[in-house]
Amino acid sequence: MTPEEFVRALAAWALVHEVADDGWKAAVARGSDSAAGAGPGPESFVDVLSALVAREKERLKAEIGSEPGGDGAGMGPGQEAIRFEIAELRGRIEALQASVDALASRGQAES
Amino acid sequence: MGRAAHIASVFTRRFASGVVRSRLGTSPTARAELARQTRLAFEELGPGFVKLGQLVSVRPDIFGADLVFEMAKLRDSAPPMALEAVERQITRSLGGGPDRVFASFDPEPIASASVAQVHTATLREDYRPVWGDVLPGGAKLAVKVLREDAARLMAEDLAAAGALLGALRRVGLLRGSGADALLEESARSLASETDLRNEGRSADRFAFDFRDDPLVFAPRVVWPLSGPAVLSMEHVEGWPVCVPDAAARAGVDSRRLAIHGAHAFMRQVLELGRFHADLHPANVFVTPDGRISYLDFGIVGELSRDEREAVAEVLAGIVYGDADRALRHSARLGVVVPPHKVPKLTRDVAALMERTMGSGGRDVRHFGIGLLRLLSSSGVAVPVGYGLLVKALVTVEGVARSVHPDVDIVETAKPFVTALLARRALEPARVLERLPDAIDAAIRVLADAGQAS
Repeated sequence: MTPEEFVRALAAWALVHEVADDGWKAAVARGSDSAAGAGPGPESFVDVLSALVAREKERLKAEIGSEPGGDGAGMGPGQEAIRFEIAELRGRIEALQASVDALASRGQAES
Repeated sequence: MGRAAHIASVFTRRFASGVVRSRLGTSPTARAELARQTRLAFEELGPGFVKLGQLVSVRPDIFGADLVFEMAKLRDSAPPMALEAVERQITRSLGGGPDRVFASFDPEPIASASVAQVHTATLREDYRPVWGDVLPGGAKLAVKVLREDAARLMAEDLAAAGALLGALRRVGLLRGSGADALLEESARSLASETDLRNEGRSADRFAFDFRDDPLVFAPRVVWPLSGPAVLSMEHVEGWPVCVPDAAARAGVDSRRLAIHGAHAFMRQVLELGRFHADLHPANVFVTPDGRISYLDFGIVGELSRDEREAVAEVLAGIVYGDADRALRHSARLGVVVPPHKVPKLTRDVAALMERTMGSGGRDVRHFGIGLLRLLSSSGVAVPVGYGLLVKALVTVEGVARSVHPDVDIVETAKPFVTALLARRALEPARVLERLPDAIDAAIRVLADAGQAS
């Protein structure tokens, strides 16, 4: 399991158990406020992990709440990236096509 | 008078003026005045030198901080090119004149700079861009047209400028022997900037990177109407951030936008690893509906995952006034301090942090310039990426504060720094190492909260 998957799993759990207790909320607040792993102690680790999970939870909530349709909606990040790369390739081909057309019309004008 | 003689005369006059105004001193004020006169000379000498000055402004690894930040103020404007030349460029690139390829075309340029000029036009039919909604037929476009002789003129001026770099080194405005590197970089940049498609691709990539941010966007590129010498993009209505009053009059919440803009920059650096490295107040637009649009993607910096983590550690060091942490992780970005210089440099950086980032309020500009000066005076080489990043941070703070003076860009970095370092802390090996202590701590946190409630 990658760190991202681990955080996402915790976030999914947090989303299902939306009414979190005060201890967790306080840890989220401390973690969001600290610049990060600044402290070496285990408390700091728990705080930043809580903040990270809370952020991922909000992201999950937004994903679930968004309606399908529109640009890239309903796609996973991997699919979106592939779609972008293909569209980027299309852009390159369209610009090349414009250059080829320009060369052809220049050739016609000269002949 | 020949071109070389003209260049020599302009520099002689400007340096003489700089020396007189600075009263022959070597103080920071004198260095700043000499840098200002150099910038004015570059402006006076035209397109090739403007381009060279712009390159100087993004190379704090080679040039002194005074010159780098002064060159960032260069005004890149040039007399407009004749309409016939514009029509020739469009016809050569797109196979038809402006009247044929666009529904309408305004012959008056809206901007004219050393490399290109920009006209407005109207899109003839709907176009589906690489990313974003379809641009409808009739949409207003900004059409950037490369000057016909841009590449040749700049190559000539850059060649003449080579000799001048030696002179700059002699008066202390140029460090080390980086002039050759700069000229090589100039040639590469020239090749990239004289193919406008590179800029269009960076804009598309930026639009994709910020697809989930409703407040930040890049103009959509119309690729069938673009080529090496013509770039057709969506026209962005609004105001450059350097005129915040206009946006405020239109009811835009400038403080919120300034904070969001700084946040967007931190996201580019710390999350995406690609950042707009030529930010300038004129390159960032505020739209009437309260969004931010970045323009002009000529120079883009890139950071690997490891470099992003190192930047996060350096920022964490700055936030906590921990000079040792900042310097230790700077080494991962290529700033290698010889062991015998570490103690003194650490003390100097700590003192600089105390002066500029301490309880009296954060001043990233003075910290950034001071840090580059300290590294330079200690004989520590600054890699190009590190220099670009420091300069970009300073510029972002300047842009954000020009919109709203109380924006603290270090504060906007915190959530990204937290996420990045926490993610690293969650790598399986590290988790296993820390898990027992973390479980104990979690139990303590929850138990304490239970007792308190």
